Amino acid sequence: MKYDSRKYVIITFITLIGIIYVLKLFYMQVVDDTWKLRAQEIAEKRREITPPRAVVFDRNGKKVVENKTYYNLMMCEDEIPEDFDTLAFAKLIGWTKEDVKNRIYNIRIEQDSSWNRQKKIRESNYRSYRTYPFLKELTADEMSTILPHLENFPGFREEVSSMRNYPYKSAANILGYVAEAGPEDVGPRKFYKNGDLKGRTGLESYYEDYIRGQRGIQYIVQDAVNNKVSSFEDGQYDTTARQADPIHLGLDIELQQYGEKLMQNKKGAIVAIEPKTGEILTLVSAPSYDPNYFVGKKNINKYYNELVNDPNKPLYPRPLASAYMPGSTFKTLQSLIGMQEGVITENTGFPCNKSVVGCHNHPSAQSVTQAVQMSCNPYFYAVTRRIIHQKKSKNINEDAAIGLAKWAEYMHSFGLGVRLPSDLTGITPGLIPDPAYYDKWYGHNNWRFSTIRSISIGQGEVQLTPLQLANVAAIMANRGWYITPHVVKSIGDDGPLPRFRKKNYTMVDRKYFDPVVEGMRRCVHEAGGTARLARIPGITMCGKTGTVEDQRNLKSGNLLKRPNHSVFICFAPMDDPKIAVAVFIENAGGGGGTWAAPTASLIVEKYLNGEVKDEAKEKRILDAKLSLWE
Amino acid sequence: MRQNQSLTGSIDWPLLFVVLLFMTMGIATVYSTAYNEEHPSLFDFSMVYGKQVMWVGVSLFLGLLVFLIDSDIYRKFALPIYGFSITLLVVVLFMPAKNGAHSWLGIGDMGIQPAEFAKIAVAILLARVLSDLNVNQQNIRTVFVTNVILLFPMALILLQNDAGTFVVFTSFLFVMYREGITYDPLILGVVNRIPGIRFKQTWLGTHFIPILFVVIFLSITTLLLSKETITLDIFPGEEIPGFYGMVFFLFIFCLLGYGLLRLILSKRDRGRALIIAVLAFVLSTTISGAVNFGFESLQPHQKVRIELFLGIIDEELADEAKDGEDYNRNRALAAVGSGGLTGRGYKNSMLANTRTGHVPESETDFIFCAFAEEWGFMGSMVLVVMYIFMMLRIVKIAERQRSRFNRVYAYSVAMILFYHCAVNIGMNIELAPVIGIPLPLFSYGGSSMMSFSMMLFILLKLDSQRKDVLN
Repeated sequence: MKYDSRKYVIITFITLIGIIYVLKLFYMQVVDDTWKLRAQEIAEKRREITPPRAVVFDRNGKKVVENKTYYNLMMCEDEIPEDFDTLAFAKLIGWTKEDVKNRIYNIRIEQDSSWNRQKKIRESNYRSYRTYPFLKELTADEMSTILPHLENFPGFREEVSSMRNYPYKSAANILGYVAEAGPEDVGPRKFYKNGDLKGRTGLESYYEDYIRGQRGIQYIVQDAVNNKVSSFEDGQYDTTARQADPIHLGLDIELQQYGEKLMQNKKGAIVAIEPKTGEILTLVSAPSYDPNYFVGKKNINKYYNELVNDPNKPLYPRPLASAYMPGSTFKTLQSLIGMQEGVITENTGFPCNKSVVGCHNHPSAQSVTQAVQMSCNPYFYAVTRRIIHQKKSKNINEDAAIGLAKWAEYMHSFGLGVRLPSDLTGITPGLIPDPAYYDKWYGHNNWRFSTIRSISIGQGEVQLTPLQLANVAAIMANRGWYITPHVVKSIGDDGPLPRFRKKNYTMVDRKYFDPVVEGMRRCVHEAGGTARLARIPGITMCGKTGTVEDQRNLKSGNLLKRPNHSVFICFAPMDDPKIAVAVFIENAGGGGGTWAAPTASLIVEKYLNGEVKDEAKEKRILDAKLSLWE
Repeated sequence: MRQNQSLTGSIDWPLLFVVLLFMTMGIATVYSTAYNEEHPSLFDFSMVYGKQVMWVGVSLFLGLLVFLIDSDIYRKFALPIYGFSITLLVVVLFMPAKNGAHSWLGIGDMGIQPAEFAKIAVAILLARVLSDLNVNQQNIRTVFVTNVILLFPMALILLQNDAGTFVVFTSFLFVMYREGITYDPLILGVVNRIPGIRFKQTWLGTHFIPILFVVIFLSITTLLLSKETITLDIFPGEEIPGFYGMVFFLFIFCLLGYGLLRLILSKRDRGRALIIAVLAFVLSTTISGAVNFGFESLQPHQKVRIELFLGIIDEELADEAKDGEDYNRNRALAAVGSGGLTGRGYKNSMLANTRTGHVPESETDFIFCAFAEEWGFMGSMVLVVMYIFMMLRIVKIAERQRSRFNRVYAYSVAMILFYHCAVNIGMNIELAPVIGIPLPLFSYGGSSMMSFSMMLFILLKLDSQRKDVLN
């Protein structure tokens, strides 16, 4: 027939379509994963269960941070039906219809927006299929009135959650606070879901991964209207939620409370460290605040502005962030470096020559020990001059640079001028000036010891945080080494992080510490010592006072002179140190021995003896209103 | 007189077997898709699977009837059957709409879709007309009559708002092509009026099926280009619409074609080569332009559908369509994909079933994705191969007929099946736009099951008596 060959057109066509379809099916079902993933996205849902955060104990097993159960009323917009009875719902929770609508509108706005790289537009992070907290932090009582009726209102469900509680109301700066995870932390591939808490500062933030626990995940297959149909693959991929093991702190919460009490009406800091372990026993930032103020929206709304606007700045973590001149406490370090460098021996004496630098009335120091005991300014001026100018270069300015560089290196080995890698947040490095620093001020090779001499007695450019000061005290106690100060003694039963087990040795040998430590003992216990008020019967304590002048040139050209800062570092007992303390009281007036030393001694006595016998001393400190308190 | 053969004497067993196999697999898939724990029985007639069993039973009964009736009846009563079918198509227009289409004739749930049966009527009448002894394929009358037979029901179906079935009717073009029908008389009638032109025949009218593909190819290319813009270094900052690029390419293409023809053709025909090239350029540009500008005037939802199918939609719109316009297709594609190599297992599908309800119509028009999800690539490949086998088998049957009536009818069946399969499966795998037509012998539904069975049993009957007729 004429057109018979046309059957091949048709046969070829049918066969070709068949081959194309089989190839396409092979690609879609076997090779390419796009549609498989899309199927999972459509049908599977992960239901995530967040466990309560880990509880925190202090060194004596007292519960410092615990969880309080509360309820959230959650809302998922997609599950709210068209015929939802808003009026009845509003009545149930005691609102008006408009309140409910406004709340839903606000939830949408609160979610922020983010940049969508694919579409190149900003878009809201709000997703109508996700669940958001509608009402937060309801108590069991409040929830019990709502719960029985909730099944009439699809799209709303209860969620049990937990909120932090701080029974001791102290140590806010150490513990930090938690807040609802922000939009950047919430998502299908991220740990948090809406309404979950996340640590924001302090311990809660630093140990977030250890505190948040293991999230439970339940995979379910859901239908087109989001009802659960079955558990996915019989639940073989599901995991149960597990609360993290408790965190044990080196902190002594009662000592902490006592420290906060002593510092009432004062500004400053107390830091106490167990020298052997580097565990922080107490870290007082004065003034302080109740950490419960940061729990829950209600409290935050109530207290936040008050705290932020307080002229005494309670939110500022003074022991960690505030760098002060260390004053005479710095002399202990100068003597150690001088001996290690060989520019003096323990028996070197210098006359108390008041013409170079002012001093109080005392006999000239004949040894390092005496110099520390009497805190002789001209002595340390001379020592530091020898450290800086060792005649390693003919050019006197170059010589100063070489000497200062070496000196700064020593100081860094004491953890000064560097950010201590602790587990607290908000730590600053303080300042140990090095040649580069002065080059910037005065020009390269344009300065020498006489230019920078105030650093020899801990004034001028040198700045230390109270944490670093306490660490210096701990180094004295250990005679040459320290473990980075930290608050967490043990994560569960695993002990501290590895880096808090390592001893850091200073560049000064063990043998040079004894004369300095003896000088510190005499400071407290011998006549002529500057810290006589720190004596505790039955305890041999070593300490060093510091009196820091607080004056600076105002822009107007006037000199602003305010009362001296009172500083004291100490450790005790001398031969088996259990505690090293640094106290810094801003603008206390008087000297280091007047306020800081007795305060430190009260801490030491409280810690070592469990109680304070000298009530008069205690009362004097408690009643004192210092620091230009406003 | 005819020999009295046994009922099953020369029946085509492979075709019958594959038909019955499809029916069984269809029931099994409908059962697993619509399975309801409260109604576990396959024969629960309140459920779609119970009904499907019933429909298959009715269809087989109809098939038996077809075998008992002499096959000559279709040839004799071709016109009354066609007339009856057209009447039903008219009547159905006055029936209340169901899902937006006036295609349902009956009371309550029980009813038929006359359009499904109209296909058989058209196939029979077309076969009858083309098998008449004095028919001449080149005759203008033949072209006219066959096209009227085709266009009349198509117009009525378009009025029903049943675009799917409307498209299926174009399958008869393949049959006409196979039988040598040519549109030449119509085209020549127009073209030869142009002064100076006198064609005896055109390639255009004869090879309208290849032409059809060229047109489709041209349309798709135009649409793909319509979204693009071209920037030229000569006109910096100017953005030229993609359509002009298309015109430019067509021009170059025709120019090259003309050059080639000049080389091949004799001197005498060179003049024609120019005319052909010009005509080709004018026609293709016209089509391309019509598609390009016609597309802009479509309804937004129609545009989205076409753009989705061609994959030229903006990402933003695609995301939006995922849960709107494209909801069904998107879920169906996901279901196919989730099947993987070996499938999720019988009655264990995640998306395409009525329990989770992610894929609407998963027991009717979208049943392929349900099967593909349960059985994976292994199963879906077997299904595609089975359908291809069935069509090729029918083509083979068609080619062995002595009677032209039988051959035309057989080709009609093959091409109708082909359209249904290609479109239905295609829309589950991104290769065809979503057009609501059932998968033959597989989808749930009485009308389609009965019409396809009757169509195939008539074919089997005709084939079993093929030796009785001479023409």
